[in-house]
Amino acid sequence: MITVALTKGRLFKDFLKYMDENDLANYSTALEGETRSLYTIVNDVKFIFAKGPDVPTYVESGVADLGIVGSDIITENPFNILNVSQLPFGDCHFSVAALPDQESFGVIATKYTNIAKAHFKNKKQDISLIHLNGSVELAPLLGLSDGIVDIVQTGSTLKDNGLVEYEKIMDIHARLIANKRTFYTKEDEIYGFLTEIGVIE
Amino acid sequence: MQNDLVIRRLEFALDYTRLLDDEKYRLVDMNMVEPFTIEDKGHHPSAIILERNEQLFSIRSDWTRSLLNYSENYHLDQRFFGYFGPVVRDYATVHQAGVELYRPSNDEILESIDMHLSFITDRYAQSFHSIVVNDDALLDLYISKYGLDEEIRHLVHEKNLSELKKRLGPEHPLYALLSAKVSEQIDLVNEEFAEHDIMRFIARLRETLEKYGMKFMLDLSFRSPQSYYNGFYFQAFLDHDHPLLSGGEYNSSAFGIAVNLSDGGLL
Repeated sequence: MITVALTKGRLFKDFLKYMDENDLANYSTALEGETRSLYTIVNDVKFIFAKGPDVPTYVESGVADLGIVGSDIITENPFNILNVSQLPFGDCHFSVAALPDQESFGVIATKYTNIAKAHFKNKKQDISLIHLNGSVELAPLLGLSDGIVDIVQTGSTLKDNGLVEYEKIMDIHARLIANKRTFYTKEDEIYGFLTEIGVIE
Repeated sequence: MQNDLVIRRLEFALDYTRLLDDEKYRLVDMNMVEPFTIEDKGHHPSAIILERNEQLFSIRSDWTRSLLNYSENYHLDQRFFGYFGPVVRDYATVHQAGVELYRPSNDEILESIDMHLSFITDRYAQSFHSIVVNDDALLDLYISKYGLDEEIRHLVHEKNLSELKKRLGPEHPLYALLSAKVSEQIDLVNEEFAEHDIMRFIARLRETLEKYGMKFMLDLSFRSPQSYYNGFYFQAFLDHDHPLLSGGEYNSSAFGIAVNLSDGGLL
């Protein structure tokens, strides 16, 4: 049996939709009913449900053999994993956003300090970073920062808060990641699953 | 349970060091506090460093490094060394056992790998499930043969199949190789480089290990967590998710093999 770490957020709904569209209803039907469980077993695959940022931790340790995670999480922090494949869902992007008419960015609030730091360093722009755990749109509204670096999907959250995008930093996609040891010790089961979900043809 | 584990570890140490003694390895027992240079930190990030009289020291975090430092500072009259003892990594103590071979021939490397496998299978009646091998220089052969960009190296190391497909195209031999099952890669590499010294050595290893009935895999993405290994590298697994044996070439003329006593599934 192999273990696949999933997150119950937006990526989970996209993954279910992807499986429905690719004749994998055996998985999606079983997973759809598991809204409150910590794990479920379908055929020879155990799906565990973790917080998004914890998915690579489970995979790195080998508790999970595979994981589906946003590229934002494995770009923000390094993990000792195989970064096997982009998946055709979970698309969004990182942007710099602020109130309209913001002239300069001296202070940036973000949950993703490493990505923001690398971006502004690359532009040789001197900024101060403030780490927040969520609802970062509040920061420029209350004067805590000049702008934010955050994930933008449709842009509606920014718009609802009166913020506008100034600069796109990078694309984000769902990624399939794998443990560096069990990729070999469970080769047959892992390749079977990767082929089944269309990562390998 | 705890007593049992301590006793089994000590029994292993006794049997293993006796084996090494029989096979003419020099057994070493070194101080756990050793001189350290800040340049070593990149290779040994988990080492705990301390200072005394303006000299940096570290608590031993890796026997390979300890022996290498010793061999660089003192004249050694022997080439094969063996050890058993604790190392400290990120505040945790683990026990390491293994050997270091300086300037070994290919025959000597194969004999030492065989000696370790045979010791485990005979003494513990356990079968090895699989071995994974690679040599970083194999990727150099592909990069050179197909005139590939150096950026490809990072994508191969992280096995980024989607990006490799995008950059190289689905028909490219390197993408075809990396998207194949890892147990099929060796035949694909042999189709292009069977006569190269690296593949000849890997073929000899495969032949030597045939008697153990284990699955033999080669993967260009497979690398050591220790950055000092710079040539051939392997990990051998019992029916367990962590390797029991790992080892490889470093410093261009040395070869080490370590037994993972913490979570390799033996004790």
